[in-house]
Amino acid sequence: MAYLDLLHLEKSFGPNHVVKDFNLRIEQGEFVSLLGPSGCGKTTVLRMVAGFETPNTGKILISGTDMVGSRPNQRNIGMVFQSYALFPNLTVAQNVGFGLSVAGKKRSQIAERVAEMLDLIGLADLGARFPFQLSGGQQQRVALARALAVRPKVLLLDEPLSALDAKIRLTLRREIRAIQQRLGITTIFVTHDQEEALSISDRVVVMNNGLADQIGTPFEIYNHPTTRFVAEFVGTLNTFEVTVTDPDVGAVMLGTTPLVLNRTIAAQKGAKVTLAMRPEAASLGRFGNMTLIGRIADVQFLGSIIRIRADIGAHQLTLDTFNRSDMPPPAIGSETPISLPTSSLVVLVK
Amino acid sequence: MKSARLWSYLIFLTGVMYFIIPLIGMFEFSLRKRRGEYSFDAYTSVLTDAQFQQTFLYSLLMALVAIVFGILLVVPTAYWVRLRLPKMRPVVEFVTLLPLVIPPVVIAFGYIRLFNTSSVLPFLGSQFGTDVLLSCGYVVLALPYMYRAVDTGLRAIDILTLTEAAQGLGANWPAIIFRVIFPNVLVAVLSGAFLTFAIVIGEYVISALLDRPAFGPYLVWIGSNKAYEPSALAVMTFAVTWGCMALIQVVTRFSKHTRTSI
Repeated sequence: MAYLDLLHLEKSFGPNHVVKDFNLRIEQGEFVSLLGPSGCGKTTVLRMVAGFETPNTGKILISGTDMVGSRPNQRNIGMVFQSYALFPNLTVAQNVGFGLSVAGKKRSQIAERVAEMLDLIGLADLGARFPFQLSGGQQQRVALARALAVRPKVLLLDEPLSALDAKIRLTLRREIRAIQQRLGITTIFVTHDQEEALSISDRVVVMNNGLADQIGTPFEIYNHPTTRFVAEFVGTLNTFEVTVTDPDVGAVMLGTTPLVLNRTIAAQKGAKVTLAMRPEAASLGRFGNMTLIGRIADVQFLGSIIRIRADIGAHQLTLDTFNRSDMPPPAIGSETPISLPTSSLVVLVK
Repeated sequence: MKSARLWSYLIFLTGVMYFIIPLIGMFEFSLRKRRGEYSFDAYTSVLTDAQFQQTFLYSLLMALVAIVFGILLVVPTAYWVRLRLPKMRPVVEFVTLLPLVIPPVVIAFGYIRLFNTSSVLPFLGSQFGTDVLLSCGYVVLALPYMYRAVDTGLRAIDILTLTEAAQGLGANWPAIIFRVIFPNVLVAVLSGAFLTFAIVIGEYVISALLDRPAFGPYLVWIGSNKAYEPSALAVMTFAVTWGCMALIQVVTRFSKHTRTSI
């Protein structure tokens, strides 16, 4: 039994089946992200954990206790919202101390905890300000402190960085992770931003159409996607439809070009499967055991990275190379060898 | 461009004169009690009249009771409709508009029919019971204004997220309403309260039919029996109403947390 168990959760809104047989086990102190496009059900899962939605079926166990029947104010689960949701009539300190105040704690205890929390988020001297006097990033820090002040069993973050500008988002996501690790609090983070999810999570749940398509570490999710959806949703991906010629050795035909992956493919001879590869896995030049000749169709200069699009027969391949001042990018229209390491080619059968 | 601005000023000035000139005329007339010179005799006469003090204080008390009743009825209702029953909003809005189309005389006769001394609930059998009915009548009369003011206030805040944030922090419903929602619609509630006050102070029909010593019937009585005092009273009533409106502005301006975010 894990610290937080979500077992067979189902949720429908009228005819819309939003969450389908969702299962997730989270260990104490783990940081898990729910990643997926809009409408995939990730926020609904979070809201069921918080108690704002009631699942049609399934269990939500925290330390073995089922939370499904209990009201949101009885669960002791902290939540941070995308829109901050600070109480406009209260100062920063009063916002942070709100949960303790409604719990009937003594003033001295509240003041002590509020000071501790404001110190944690680096806003110790802004306790007397009202929310409208803070920037978006500061407001979200206060919202985090408010959620943590009551020492919740689980912390839920519902796209907390979406309303912030890029620079603040980057800083705050590092801070959130640092605070989570420092306090060791079990956290579920909802986002549609793959970079955010991959950069701060212990594990990522990629959701699609109400289902958890894949649950794994960021490394597993990025490098070994198990479904086409995960492969395409997380990062940029090259996909090629190929025909299996020998599943035992991983031989396939890409158009008229034979490729051998040197591993078993879980498909029958003659079956169509998808080969997927990240842009950074391919490289210009002859390296390794699989080299194809491509015609350069487009070159995009992205600063530290150069993104090259090459035509290989009827297929198109995108590859990323590091920008090096001593190595100019290839000319458009030129033909150049492109190496594809077989180990980085993922076979997507689903 | 200049011509357009000139026309705007002219229209504005015409509007101002349309409202101001009768008031000036009324104020000037109220100062004429003493023959041959201006004086505040009419005002002195009104303010020293024991009946004025008695009726004004009575209506003031009724207004306060109606405001408290109104707030307790409207704030949770408007909040709950916005939070959980958004589809019911047109129905509730229609109900709150009914007092504008149903004459107060119908409400008063309804009370007399339903709550007379031979009914199951003989409210009209005692002065206190009648006062309770009168304050309920005032709540009904002020309902369109109070509901709209509070509903507009609620529209300005994200009540769903604030409610969920408060629930997540362990707050129960009374704590959410009185510590989160109510303070954030305070300005709107005060606007509704001042409007209620203005309505109650001048209300005649229900208080007269229920035979209560309110300020409205006193205004009518003095209007039919004296010459200059009614004008003095009208000026004073305008002053009270404008004072209420000014208070709404002051409260709005000095409400710290309603200022624009940085």
